[in-house]
Amino acid sequence: MHDMSAHAVHHGAPTSFIRKHIFSLDHKVIGKQYYALALVAVIVGMVLSWLMRLHLGFANFAIPGLHLLSKNGAPGDIMTPEYYLQLMTMHGTIMVFFVLTTAPFAAFGNFFLPIQTGAEDMPFPHFNMMSFWVTFTGFVILMASFFVSDGPTLGGWTQYAPLSAVGAVSGPGQGTGVVLWAFSIAFFCVGQLFGSLNFITTTLDMRCKGMSLMRLPLSAWAWFITSIMGLTAFAVLMPAVILLILDHIAGTSFFVASNLVINDSLLPHSGGSTLLWQHLFWFFGHPEVYIAIIPGMGIVSHILITNMRRPMLSHRVLIYSMGALAVLSYMVYGHHMFVSGMNPISSLAFSFPTLIITIPSTIVVLIWLGSLYGSKLRINSASLFALGFISMFISGGISGFFLAQPSIDILLHATYFVVGHFHLVMAVAAIFGIFGGTYFWFPKMTGRMMNESLGQLHFWLTFVGAYCIFMPFHYLGIAGNVRRYQAFVDDYLIPLIPVHKFITVAALATGAVQLIFIYNLIYSRFWGAPAPDNPWQGTSLEWSTATPPPHNNFGDKMPVVYHDPYQYSVEGASSDFIMQTSPEPVHSADEEK
Amino acid sequence: MSQADLSIHGQVSRTAATEVMAAPAFSIPAKKMAMWLFIIADTATFAGCLVAYGFIRNGTPDWPRPFHSITNVAIMTFVLLTSSLTMLMGIRSAQKGEKSGAFRCVMFTALLGAVFALLHIREWLELIDKGVTIFHNPFGTPLFGAAFFSVTGLHLLHVTGGVIALVAVGIRYMGGRYTADDLEVTGLYWHFVDLVWMFVVPLIYLLNMSH
Amino acid sequence: MSASNTPNGGAGRDVAVYVCLLILAAIQFVISYQNISASSMFARMFIVAIIEGALALLFFMHLWENRGLRWFVLIFSIATTLGMQYGWTDSYRQLLGVPWAH
Repeated sequence: MHDMSAHAVHHGAPTSFIRKHIFSLDHKVIGKQYYALALVAVIVGMVLSWLMRLHLGFANFAIPGLHLLSKNGAPGDIMTPEYYLQLMTMHGTIMVFFVLTTAPFAAFGNFFLPIQTGAEDMPFPHFNMMSFWVTFTGFVILMASFFVSDGPTLGGWTQYAPLSAVGAVSGPGQGTGVVLWAFSIAFFCVGQLFGSLNFITTTLDMRCKGMSLMRLPLSAWAWFITSIMGLTAFAVLMPAVILLILDHIAGTSFFVASNLVINDSLLPHSGGSTLLWQHLFWFFGHPEVYIAIIPGMGIVSHILITNMRRPMLSHRVLIYSMGALAVLSYMVYGHHMFVSGMNPISSLAFSFPTLIITIPSTIVVLIWLGSLYGSKLRINSASLFALGFISMFISGGISGFFLAQPSIDILLHATYFVVGHFHLVMAVAAIFGIFGGTYFWFPKMTGRMMNESLGQLHFWLTFVGAYCIFMPFHYLGIAGNVRRYQAFVDDYLIPLIPVHKFITVAALATGAVQLIFIYNLIYSRFWGAPAPDNPWQGTSLEWSTATPPPHNNFGDKMPVVYHDPYQYSVEGASSDFIMQTSPEPVHSADEEK
Repeated sequence: MSQADLSIHGQVSRTAATEVMAAPAFSIPAKKMAMWLFIIADTATFAGCLVAYGFIRNGTPDWPRPFHSITNVAIMTFVLLTSSLTMLMGIRSAQKGEKSGAFRCVMFTALLGAVFALLHIREWLELIDKGVTIFHNPFGTPLFGAAFFSVTGLHLLHVTGGVIALVAVGIRYMGGRYTADDLEVTGLYWHFVDLVWMFVVPLIYLLNMSH
Repeated sequence: MSASNTPNGGAGRDVAVYVCLLILAAIQFVISYQNISASSMFARMFIVAIIEGALALLFFMHLWENRGLRWFVLIFSIATTLGMQYGWTDSYRQLLGVPWAH
C-alpha cells in the first residue's frame, strides 16, 4: 500500500513557463516561491520599522515622500499618532506571519524536507501549490489595506478586542483595515493547513528505503514538529478571525461587551467578551512563536554539525526537547494574559509551565554549547549565523525567566522589555536561522556559491547591530517605557529620548547592512561560482543528489539510506564523513537501528 | 544485509520490483493520513468555536432558551447517525468488491446527508421567521443567534461539502478511478462530521431547550 | 485499510455500535428533560457525548485497529477536551469576578 503513496506523486517535469515557475507542483519551486515571498515581506517590514524608528527617535521627523503612501496618515510627511500605530501593526503582522513563519518553515522546509526524507516530492503537490498561492493571496490582501481610504488597522498584531471588533468608530483602519487583516490571516491559516498536511505526510509516509524516523536529520525533525504545531495552532486562529469578521460584517458582538462608549457614541453591541479573543488568539499565539523558532533550531543544529564535523552530544535528546517545547507551548498561552485580571491561581497555573518550558530550551542550548566545546568549528557565513542564533536565543531567552513570573511581569508587561525579549528570542534569532540556512543551502538551491567574505562581513555587522538595537530595549522597559507609545512627552520618558535616538541610528544602519546580503543573493544567483554537489562535505540526502536537484530530486535512482544522518569523524572510516547513502559499514555503539 | 544486494552505492532503481520507500509510520498510507490530520485540525477549529460559544453562553446571565421541541433535532440526529451506518456498509461492500452495492450505499449516504441539510435549513428558516438572526434575537441576547448560526453554519458547511465529496467520490469509484481506499478516506470525513454533531446537539440545542 | 488488511470487525459490530449511539443520543435527550442546573446538565451531556465520540472514533473510524494512531488521537482528544474546559471556565470571571465559581 505504501508504493501507492509513492506513485501518487509522480508528475512529469513541466515544460511551459507557467507550470514550471508560477503554478508549479514541484516542492523545490514552491520552496523558492515562499523564500521570495518572505524576502519581499521582510523588506516591507524592515522599511516599516525604519519609518517607525525615525518617528520615535526624532519626533515629528518629516520623512520625504511619506504623504504619497497616505495623505491622511502623514500630512506634510509627518506621521500622525494613528499612522504610527498602523505601520506598527503592519510591521508585526508581516514579520510574524509572512517572514518568521514563511521563511524558515515553509520556504526551507518545502525545498529540503522531501529531499532529506528521500522522497520525489510531497504526497499532495496540488495542495502544496495551493498552499503557496493561498498564502500569497493573504499577503496581497494585507498589502491592499495600505491603499484603502483610511489605511491599515492600528490594533497591533494581536488585534485585541474590543478595539479590533467595534469598527471604524475606534479609529482609522479599524473598519475596512481590520476586515482585510482578518481575511489575510484566514487565508494564511488555510495555506498553513495545506502546508502542514504535506509536511507531516511527507515525514511519515514518504521516507526512502532505510530512512527510519530517527535517521532523519535534525532539520527535518524540526520541520516535522513545527508542522504538527502549525496544523493545530492555525486551526484555532481560524475560528477566531472568522468570528472577528462576523463582528464586523454581520453585526454580531462576540468580542464586544455591552454598553461600550467609544468616541462619545454608544455602541449597539451587547454581551460579548473581550477576554474570549485573548483566549483564542493566544492559544494560537504562543505556539506561533515556537513555530517561528523551532525550524531555526533544526537548521542551526544541521549547520553546526556539518561544520563541527561531529554529531551533537545527543540526537535523540535534541529531538525530544524540541517535541517538549512544542507540547508545552500550548500550555503556557495564559502568560500573555497575566495582567488581564486573572486570579492568582490561574496565573500560577500558567506561570509554572512557562518556567518548565525553559528546561527543554536550556537542554537544547546546553547540547549546542557542549557539542561546540572543543570542536574545531569551521568558520563560514553559515556557521557564524548559527552561532549568532544561539547567542540571540540565549540573550532573549534569559529575559523570559523574568517575564514568566506574574509578579515581575505585571511590572514589565507591555513595556519595551517585552519588545526586546521577543525581538531577540524569536525575531532576530529566527532571522539569523534564515540567514544561516540561506548561506548553507544556497549552493544546493541555485547551483552557485555565495560570496563568503561578504557573508562574514554581513554577519558581524548584523550581529553587532542587532544587539545595539534590542539590548537597550530592556533598559527602556525597566525604566518604564510602555510599548506602542508614538511620542515620549512624560517627564520620566524625556531622559530616555537619547536611547531612542541611538536605537534609531542602529536600526537604520543595521537595516542598510542587509543590502550587502541582498546584493550577495542577487549577484551570486547569476554570477556566483558554480557549486559542487556537496560543497560542505555534508552527509544528509540533500548532498547526495545533483546541484541543483533534478525535477524528481534523485534522478532515475531512488536513494537507500544506511546510516544515521550525522556520521562525521567516524573512527576507521575512509574519510571524515560517511554519507547516509554510503553502504560503508560503521562500527559504532551509537548508531540507531 | 539484504539491502546490499538490491542496491549499489546507496541507490535503488525506480523500476525495481522491490520497495523503494520505507514503510509508512502508523502503517497508514498518505491519503488516509492526510485525512486524519485534516480531522485533527478541524477538531481544533470546532473546539475553538465551541469554546467561544460556551464562553459567551456561560458569561451571559440571561441566556435565552428559545427551543421548545426536540422533534426536528431528534430526526436530524437519527438521519445523520444512520448515514454513518450506510457509509460503513458501503465501505464493507467495496472492500468485498461489490461495486454497485457500494455505490448504492454511498449514494444513499449522500441522500441522507442532503436530507439532514434540508431539515437543518428548514429549522434555520423557522428561527429566522421568528426573528432570530445572526445579529438579532427577540428572546434575549443577540449573541444566541450569533453563536447558533455560526456554529451550526460551520457544521452545515461541512455536511454540504461532505455530500458533494460523497457524490464525486462515489461516481469516480463507479468509473474505476477511485478505489475502496478512497471511499474509506471519504468515510472518515463523514464519520467525523457525525462525531461533531454529537457535541453540537447537546451544547447548542439541548442546553437551550425550554420545557 | 483496504482488502489487504484484516476486515475491521464485521457488519454486525457496525450495527451494534450504531444502536449504542442511538441509545446514547436518546439519553442526551432524556437528560435535557431533567430538572437540574445548566452546569450539571452540561456535565452529564458532555460525558455522554464523549462516550459517543469515543465509540465513533474507535469503531466507525477504525481506530480500534490502529494502535499507534489510537494513542496519538487519545492524547490529542484529552488535550483538546481539557483545553476547552479551561476556556469555558474563565468566563465565570466575567460573570462573577471569580474564576471556577459556580
